Amino acid sequence: MRKYIYTLIALLGFATVAFGAADSQIWGEMRIQNILGYGQEESLKLGAWFTFLQSKYFAWVFLGVLIGVPTVFFLHYKIVGQKVFPHSHNKHYAFNLFHRTIHQVAAVSFMVIIPTGFIIVFGDFFGGGTLVRMAKNLHGIFTIPFAIVILPMALMWIKEAIFNLEDIKWFMILGGYLSKKKRIINATQFNAGQKMWYWVCILGGLVMILSGAMMFFMDFKIEMLHNLTGLSHIDMLRASAIIHNVMGFILVAVFFTHIYMAAVAIKGAIHSIITGYVEEEEVKFLHNAWYKKLKEKGKF
Amino acid sequence: MENARMKFYCDESRCIECDGCSIACAEAHELPAGIARRKVITIHEGIPGKEVSTSIACMHCTDAPCEQVCPVDCFYIREDGVVLHDKEKCIGCGYCLYACPFGAPQFPREGIFGSKGAMDKCTMCAGGPLATNSHHEFELYGQNRIAEGKVPVCAAMCSTKALLVGDAESVSNVIRARVAARGGKGFNSYGWDKAYKNQ
Ligand code: HEM
Ligand code: SF4
Ligand code: SF4
Repeated sequence: MRKYIYTLIALLGFATVAFGAADSQIWGEMRIQNILGYGQEESLKLGAWFTFLQSKYFAWVFLGVLIGVPTVFFLHYKIVGQKVFPHSHNKHYAFNLFHRTIHQVAAVSFMVIIPTGFIIVFGDFFGGGTLVRMAKNLHGIFTIPFAIVILPMALMWIKEAIFNLEDIKWFMILGGYLSKKKRIINATQFNAGQKMWYWVCILGGLVMILSGAMMFFMDFKIEMLHNLTGLSHIDMLRASAIIHNVMGFILVAVFFTHIYMAAVAIKGAIHSIITGYVEEEEVKFLHNAWYKKLKEKGKF
Repeated sequence: MENARMKFYCDESRCIECDGCSIACAEAHELPAGIARRKVITIHEGIPGKEVSTSIACMHCTDAPCEQVCPVDCFYIREDGVVLHDKEKCIGCGYCLYACPFGAPQFPREGIFGSKGAMDKCTMCAGGPLATNSHHEFELYGQNRIAEGKVPVCAAMCSTKALLVGDAESVSNVIRARVAARGGKGFNSYGWDKAYKNQ
């Protein structure tokens, strides 16, 4: 773990040094590729694509997600409502201090990264200047704690996050969340929805970190990346900006879902990641396969 | 009278790659190290017959792509077509660079985190939104020579007069006369079509 953090810090350090020492990849001799890469017949036309998407669509799609997803959940809350399970004395200690710490660091990072991301996207609404600049800086700074915990988080839950055949059934009825009835769902510790969030958060998170880092460092030189992608430096930056926005739509939509599920849809479920204890009734109904296993082991 | 449309034009058959324009620009506006609003580049280097040098800065494009993508909407386009931006509004996100066909927007590094500061680019020596010829304007945007009735410094200093700037019609007239004198050769200038959409 220690080693991993040191490597991360070293990498960040190197990238900054590389920026100072190497010839500019954008404004020096490489500026020619920048010009050649814009909308020429043989190129990917990423410059023209970025201009088109950013000027016409990105902010509107973000606005759609920002309003649309909470609206759907508001309707769900009004029509279907919360699932309330009795909280008895029987609890199982499922998340130890390490799990919770890692999760909480990621949670706090997201609570800064996502609102600031929206402030940047709607920067004209906020008038630009100091406020939006601060949002940009916080957005970048809180990427660091997220980047530190993302791999430990990926490793600690990967066993629970592998999809299995039961998950297809879960998706067919959307976990039973469309009806008021409590029914027994045969899920393991994580149900298919939680697994989906795991993969979007981990893989999507990595994509966001990498594309964000490219935009942050901007003028750096990593030869391997050009060979790997076949793109000029400026086109890689353009691709990063496009990917960061598109992945952003998905991440935000699923993140909102995660919050709604944990904080609202199942009353009190959020306490499990705070205290570490899950409630017997909740596990019995919503994660029955896991429940049976725990029972066999004599838990509860 | 309709408003004049200001344009840059670099006559590739005259540019001798002396770098005078970019040095004049850096000196006149007291640009920090690492910022080159104007740069001389050589395209198709080493390919006989195709190699050309040209001087590139912000072209002050028609329907400027930078203006279209800016998330804080800090650009404004003057009636004469000069594309300017408000540095106090700019957050240094880099989007204008990704949209720009000429790699014109540049970013100084600021603060302890070395994040990108406010974008800097050629103003066609027309300053910015602050009080004309104020000290504050000079600090942020450089000289406002247009307000003083002077030609942008790069073109003024160009020893071969390859680099032209002015209202579209005057520039076209000069080029047409030159092309005629050269027997019809060398009309096109790199990026000219892209920036002004053949208008
Ligand atoms: C795990 C999620 C995310 C991570 C790790 C992340 C990371 C980053 C980083 C490091 C940058 C570069 C910052 C800089 O240049 O100073 C950036 C830029 C940006 N991010 Fe994110 N981001 C995430 C999610 C989002 C979301 C959800 C949105 C939109 C709501 C968003 C919108 C933006 C925008 C518009 C930029 C470009 C402007 C800029 O560079 O400041 N990001 N991101
Ligand atoms: S050259 Fe680039 S910065 Fe200048 S107006 Fe065109 S797009 Fe904007
Ligand atoms: S760097 Fe500044 S001028 Fe360029 S798009 Fe971002 S906010 Fe606008």
